Amino acid sequence: MEVTETRPNIYLPQIARITDVRDETPDTKTFVFRLREDPAHQAFTWRPGQFVELSVFGLGEAPFGFASSPTRKQNFEITIRAVGALTAALHGMGPGDEVGIRGPLGNHFPCDEVRGRNILFIGGGIGLPPLRSLIHNMLDERDKFGDITILYGARTPTDLVYKQELKQWEQRGDIRFMVTVDRSEPGWQGNVGMVPTLFPKADVKPDGTVAYICGPPVMIRFVIQDLVSMGFADDNIISTLERHMKCGVGKCNHCCIGHKYVCRDGPVFSYQQMKGLLE
Amino acid sequence: MSRALRLEKDRWREWLAALQKGATVVAPVRLHGDDVAFERIDSPGQATLDFCNTQDSPKRFLFPQVEPMLRYRRNGGYEVNPIYDQEKRVLFGIRCCDVSAVRFMDLALGVEDLPDTYYSLRRANTALIALACDQPCGDSFCVCADTGPFLSSGGGYDIQLTDLGDHYLAEVDTERGEALVAAASALFTSASDEDLARRQELDAQAERSFPREPRLYFAASSRKVSLDNVDEDLWRRMAHWCVSCGGCTHICPTCYCFNVTDAQVNGDGLRSRRWDSCQYSGLTREASGHNPRPEQLHRLKRRIFHKMSYQYVARDGMQGCVGCGRCIRVCPGIRLGITEVGEGIRRAEWK
Repeated sequence: MEVTETRPNIYLPQIARITDVRDETPDTKTFVFRLREDPAHQAFTWRPGQFVELSVFGLGEAPFGFASSPTRKQNFEITIRAVGALTAALHGMGPGDEVGIRGPLGNHFPCDEVRGRNILFIGGGIGLPPLRSLIHNMLDERDKFGDITILYGARTPTDLVYKQELKQWEQRGDIRFMVTVDRSEPGWQGNVGMVPTLFPKADVKPDGTVAYICGPPVMIRFVIQDLVSMGFADDNIISTLERHMKCGVGKCNHCCIGHKYVCRDGPVFSYQQMKGLLE
Repeated sequence: MSRALRLEKDRWREWLAALQKGATVVAPVRLHGDDVAFERIDSPGQATLDFCNTQDSPKRFLFPQVEPMLRYRRNGGYEVNPIYDQEKRVLFGIRCCDVSAVRFMDLALGVEDLPDTYYSLRRANTALIALACDQPCGDSFCVCADTGPFLSSGGGYDIQLTDLGDHYLAEVDTERGEALVAAASALFTSASDEDLARRQELDAQAERSFPREPRLYFAASSRKVSLDNVDEDLWRRMAHWCVSCGGCTHICPTCYCFNVTDAQVNGDGLRSRRWDSCQYSGLTREASGHNPRPEQLHRLKRRIFHKMSYQYVARDGMQGCVGCGRCIRVCPGIRLGITEVGEGIRRAEWK
């Protein structure tokens, strides 16, 4: 007589195993995950810009964006800085250890929708990982897009993530890649200055270009202002909003901005959409 | 569908006894003094229908203050098992504002494309028997919120009872309501045309007897809140009276913010959710320490926006405030019941 639950439980995590951990910076690591149950792993896919709620059992859940592309779908990667209790515990884990995964959650970066357009990526610090998911996706379908420019900045050379990969990007002939740091360190011979100082050097032009920005909120704010004054249309500026996303499915009300839920309506928003949000 | 039946007043507890055979009955119980609250009842004698409104709404029977979600255990690898409450319940004697609040929760949490697993399961096993209000109660202003004093067909109840002196009119509005009647069909006879006419009279009479205060003139205050046309200094002066206790949100029948926590219980891990509040600074605080709603004025603004804005009406399909008036009574800062805040916004005045 009782009604029993037949739909999938939106709060039930799947178990994933860590298969590899790579150090990125003194406080940031990239974790490679694989769902423990093989059929689930085979069926698992996502879009760049989406995120998961990751459980460290005993400590709870926190949201993290995918750092790898569904076009390289062997396993999935998440780059995580140790900031609080949960991320500190995660940094103590290694291959074979298990976590819970709910997702993929949220909307995604426009990708197929911008075929043929020029693409500009602007990443700051730990904001590069979610962009990397889309960068890999676009590089794997390179002929479908126009010019691709990647500008990346971090506080110091030590704080740059994916150091080996950045060198490969520098050497590729089919993209333009530039990196800068706020403060130099001994041995650094590259650019010094905030990310916007790269705009003239990279010859950034708004025509037919879609810009993707991810980084600390203050950087996003300044970069958007610069792009707007350069003539970028509001709906060609794409970024992500950061809030404390607890449930990830638009129920718990932790991540609301006005009546929008960053976890369901976002985390990806165009500048045009951001301007309409009431805090 | 709607069918009108008559239930003799001295026999409603017999009906409760019949309902108890198929479900847990949750009904208003007199605790001490004049306090009446919803409790699980063991015998029909515990229940009362002689009250204005209950201290709190029956929200916790659909959305418990602490609700276990799943257990996890490390057995080599992790095993995770959800915990489901599949108890069949009848919520008996709910006032119209609270029935409307359940209708709101159905929309907000049970939204069709992604239903909240735990809420929708409890809700699917819960029947609502409403008790129409033949007089205004305490601080309520349901008449402003269009959630009372009586509900019409489609208002969310399975059965609505109206006190007609020596008997009740029972308006049966759903198939589930029909099943509740069928549990004791011998107690019910057809209602007369006079019964229906008397119900209309009582409804109109109750609407006319609402006092001038408290009232909430939603049209003006909602417009200002929706358009962000409220001066920040006004929010600040109003929020000055807030002690961040969260009482207004916990007592509110439509508030559903929650947090999720893990704990160890008897060696197993237990993940639970518990009521949270937009009046707490921790709701939006991020791991970095950054808080997008740093001051109490931002949090008061948030509460009022979720209750009153057109944006949320469009999102949820219904206004978040059902006019029960409980936040007026519970506020220890005295002044932050939604009517006084709403009036402050409407008049752009706060002394």
